[in-house]
Amino acid sequence: MLGGYMGRVLEVNLSNGERRLYPVSRRIRELYVGNKGLGTRLLYDLLPPGVDPLSPDNIMIVTTAPMTGTGAPSTNRVNITTKSPLTGAIVNSNSGGNFGVHLKRAGYDALIVRGKAPKPVYLKITEDEVSIEDAKELWGLDTHETQEKLPKEMGKLVIGPAGENLVKFACIVSQERVNGRAGVGAVMGSKNLKAVIAGGKMKPYIPDEEAYRETCKAWREVLKAHPATSQQLPSYGTASFINICNATFTMPTRNFKYGTWEETEKVSGESLAEKYLVKNTACYGCVIACGRQVEVQGKKVKGPEYETLGMLGPNILNSDLKAICEFNYQADLLGLDTISLGNVLGFVMEAGEKGLLKTELAFGKIDNIPQAIEDIAYRRGLGEDMAEGVRFLSQKYGGKEFAIHSKGLEIPSYEPRGAVGHGLGYAVSCRGGCHLQGGYVVYLEANGPITVDPLTTRGKPGLVVMNQTMLEAVSTLGCCNFTIFTMLMPKLLELNARSALVAKMLSLGFLYSGNLLGKSLSMPSWTIPVKPPFMMFPQVKAHAQCTGTNFTMGKFIELGQRSYNIDKLFNVREGFAAKDDSLPERLTEELQRSEEPNSRVRLAEMLPTYYKIRGWDQEGRPTDKTLKRLKIER
Amino acid sequence: MRSPEEDTNDTFEAMVEVKLFATIRKVAGEKGFKTEASNVQEVLEEIYRKYGPEIRSEMAYCTILVNGRNIAHLRGKRTRLKEGDVISFFPPLAGG
Repeated sequence: MLGGYMGRVLEVNLSNGERRLYPVSRRIRELYVGNKGLGTRLLYDLLPPGVDPLSPDNIMIVTTAPMTGTGAPSTNRVNITTKSPLTGAIVNSNSGGNFGVHLKRAGYDALIVRGKAPKPVYLKITEDEVSIEDAKELWGLDTHETQEKLPKEMGKLVIGPAGENLVKFACIVSQERVNGRAGVGAVMGSKNLKAVIAGGKMKPYIPDEEAYRETCKAWREVLKAHPATSQQLPSYGTASFINICNATFTMPTRNFKYGTWEETEKVSGESLAEKYLVKNTACYGCVIACGRQVEVQGKKVKGPEYETLGMLGPNILNSDLKAICEFNYQADLLGLDTISLGNVLGFVMEAGEKGLLKTELAFGKIDNIPQAIEDIAYRRGLGEDMAEGVRFLSQKYGGKEFAIHSKGLEIPSYEPRGAVGHGLGYAVSCRGGCHLQGGYVVYLEANGPITVDPLTTRGKPGLVVMNQTMLEAVSTLGCCNFTIFTMLMPKLLELNARSALVAKMLSLGFLYSGNLLGKSLSMPSWTIPVKPPFMMFPQVKAHAQCTGTNFTMGKFIELGQRSYNIDKLFNVREGFAAKDDSLPERLTEELQRSEEPNSRVRLAEMLPTYYKIRGWDQEGRPTDKTLKRLKIER
Repeated sequence: MRSPEEDTNDTFEAMVEVKLFATIRKVAGEKGFKTEASNVQEVLEEIYRKYGPEIRSEMAYCTILVNGRNIAHLRGKRTRLKEGDVISFFPPLAGG
């Protein structure tokens, strides 16, 4: 038996109450591991193409990974995979919290939910039984009230009124963490499923537990010694990016019209820490503790993350930090994704200004935003249309050129005309406008310590492939993306900061060899049989020890490639093609700054090379050769 | 080759705005200051002089921007400054 796994995947059909163990072979576990990779493979196998995402035929899959709940630091992510009602594409929504740990303690690696309950229910999973319980008393409650009414000791996934009302960007909440994107909460609502709770005392088998514990201990030390994960994230949270993005023209301002705003400092991580921070919070087993707790209306609640600050701040010309804390709390209670929310608000404000629709919402005006948020969650008035997302709004009222989405998913808080490779990532991301599945190249272009020219398209396709592959692999192992900062060793950062020559060499090196780097990741795994330096890639050694397999750097890279390609294959089967790898005209045609002729995302210059490096045809479809190399069966 | 904006007289000192962020700001105890300097190196020296040795460890990994552009894409610490330039100092950040 492979270490780390509980060895069982639970399948529940809410239409008829049927429960069974779904068989997952050792080969599938070895190839797709867990979390995002396993979730996508299962959905690809189980969901036929063309299914309405909000129909009982859609499937919701909750996955964990071998290292979940085993003591590895920052590695207890839970993933939810389904077909998105917002985009029609696949969505993998990843979050921290503790649900994954509790699901494994109940004895399961994953949960597959099918069908639709005839009335509101919640699902209770323990090591002794799986039961479908009446949720009559929970239906209508917000996410906090719902969790309060459920057993304290169990892990929980819940939806709020937005999920119940099938808002296309409703999220799922667990403690204060959120599986936010692309409407996973609406899928749960469409199944009349108010909550899933899990708990137990089971533990997975780990072949050499003592050695694994030592590795985890050393891994914690690596995170505790790194300047990003030991100083900046604990001090300022994800919000530490606000000021640097504003400085580098990557802060969406006024519905992505501009990339910087003079008022942004007021909603920064520094301002949050100075004025409202009560204390740090952490996901289960995390040594970083990037979460913020703030005080809102006399209650101590989760503080806003970077994305929320950007989208409900500069993007709607709001510099009132206290108000953002309140909007964030309200959105979490109702169960709304704050990225899509800020984007929808920005679109409506601009459309109203241009006379395309009638609204009292306006840039810089915040007193009516709480009402708008509530109207979206309960689908009242214009909220009924806003609940469908910006793509729908632009189709109904016009304004497609400034409807900031890709494949229907609203783009998050990085203005890509200040970092054009990041824009390519948004366009090609399988779940639509997403910074993480887009490869997060803005970190190499604007807000990271080692940066390449942000406005050139040279080398960017390869860098997008490289970053996507690494993030995908890390995610599939169940690790938080912040564990990836270990790849930037402190000594390297110090050298980069001290020596202009080193900084220049690194910058040019990434740029000129970017495409080659991306292509080199297509090498078969056996050509890279090495164990990577632990300080840079502790995830690889830890996963090998946890599972008792010969997991190498080559397999880590191949895992990232395989996981991304199976995502793509799902979308291709649903009819997605190159035409869908697109961005609105505002980002591709309008210059962000008139004095910078390259400050627009020149997709046409990058897409063909991106497909080529990926081993896809020019319609963006994985070729048979690529699938064979990655051992992906259709 | 120098760009026109960099190609100024070596001895000319411009009044520039220095902005400090995150843990650098925390140690400095202020958001920034205005100073006269002809290049980035002189600004750095002013920071060390102003805030003492404690600031050095915070500056060890820092990213320096001049008007939003990373100095790695300009002339490093020899990047010349002109009147009104904004020089921003960030530690290695993570987020988002």
